[in-house]
Amino acid sequence: MSTVHAPPSPRSLPAAGAPDRASVLAAVATVDDPEYPGVSILDLGLFESLSIGPDGQVDLDLVPTFSGCPALAMIAEDVRAAVRTVPGVGDVTVAWLAAPAWTTDRVTARGRAALAQEFTVAVRIGRSEPQCPRCGGRLDDRSLFGPSRCRSVALCGDCRETIEIMRA
Amino acid sequence: MDDFEAFLDDGGIVEVDDEMPMAYREAVFSFIEMHANSELMGGLTERDWIPKTPGLRHKMSVLAKTQDEIGHGHLLYMVAADMGMKTRQEMLEDLFAGRSKFHNVFHYRAETWGDQVAIAFLVDAAALASQQAVLKNCSYGPYRRILKRIVSEEGFHMRLGEDRMMRIAQGTDRQRELFQGALDRWFWPALQLFGPDSKPGDVLLRWHIKSERNEVLRDGWVQKFVPLLQSYGFTVPAPDLTQDPETGKWDVGPIDWEPLKRTLAQGGPDSARRISEAADNWARTAWVRDALAERQPVPA
Repeated sequence: MSTVHAPPSPRSLPAAGAPDRASVLAAVATVDDPEYPGVSILDLGLFESLSIGPDGQVDLDLVPTFSGCPALAMIAEDVRAAVRTVPGVGDVTVAWLAAPAWTTDRVTARGRAALAQEFTVAVRIGRSEPQCPRCGGRLDDRSLFGPSRCRSVALCGDCRETIEIMRA
Repeated sequence: MDDFEAFLDDGGIVEVDDEMPMAYREAVFSFIEMHANSELMGGLTERDWIPKTPGLRHKMSVLAKTQDEIGHGHLLYMVAADMGMKTRQEMLEDLFAGRSKFHNVFHYRAETWGDQVAIAFLVDAAALASQQAVLKNCSYGPYRRILKRIVSEEGFHMRLGEDRMMRIAQGTDRQRELFQGALDRWFWPALQLFGPDSKPGDVLLRWHIKSERNEVLRDGWVQKFVPLLQSYGFTVPAPDLTQDPETGKWDVGPIDWEPLKRTLAQGGPDSARRISEAADNWARTAWVRDALAERQPVPA
């Protein structure tokens, strides 16, 4: 096997020094959850940490809502594509951590508002009693599982809306 | 009724406790019931493939789709039951007795992994296009809000379907043959999912339950998938397929609606087995529902 030293492509060279953390995070923030278009994975609390090497290499650690989530490969792909557009970024790796575990208190206030307004999805934080995203009413649990492992199903006692509750 | 129709024409949204003409209530209820039944039947098909799926990556997607579809059915049965026409138990009894409808595509048998890929790629796209057209303008509020969540998840399924499709299209000759065989079996049922041309005076359109005519949605699907399948080097199984040299639009030729009519009368190639398996499954899992009904509240 012969080694060919191709000239480095402009892509792999840091444009003007290493990229800064804020620009990388801003790129991560543009990636939406594949099941909730319009809700950023940053607001869902999937981001854990990142490091930037002197050559523009970016290594990201993310936390899955649950380890069997089928969207992990897709999210990692979307994150790599988004971060690569940041000037100065070289290679990008995305790792899914087994610890810490994702919990609903990682969802930001903006994330909770978007889930409530756009998808009528409530978020159960710790032992709190989530309220109906439509009317603020009391929710009656109907089943532990909804369309995903990370959601249960309830009915609003007041407006009778069928509500999904995001849970750990 | 005139006032009610004027209200709907103005973009009015009907909520569960609002007054509504019985004919409207019946039409909305039947529509949601059929959707719920289809999610359940589709979920059971997907579930059959969990142990047989090639590779961990696809297995995760099959597991997730199964839970999504059953979960969608669950949400839709709640919305339907809330309309006060039938309880969930009555809807399920009607489904298992062959008295109610579900989508034509679930009256066929998925024999190979190629079939599953064709379903995920072609059928899911057809179902998604129909649902998007309902979501756009649906006058029944509770259904519209549930649909928004369902459509987002079905969009995710589409990406999983494209992933399955790309893998098989880039595979060996045998894999490609497997998919071509599946395409030959599933192209027409997928196309027929949209139904025959909408009749003038279709109440689903008049009452803003659906926002687009069947033939328009079907044509959109044809214009997208015929060139896409050809670009991957597959043959679209339509002997009378033509392309307008001026507009570039594809025409699949005359459509035989007899197979669709048979499925609607529970006379599809796999209808009897599907329905009896779904009924058996329901009976076998009664202990889970009993256990859940008895359970003590779990601390959060």
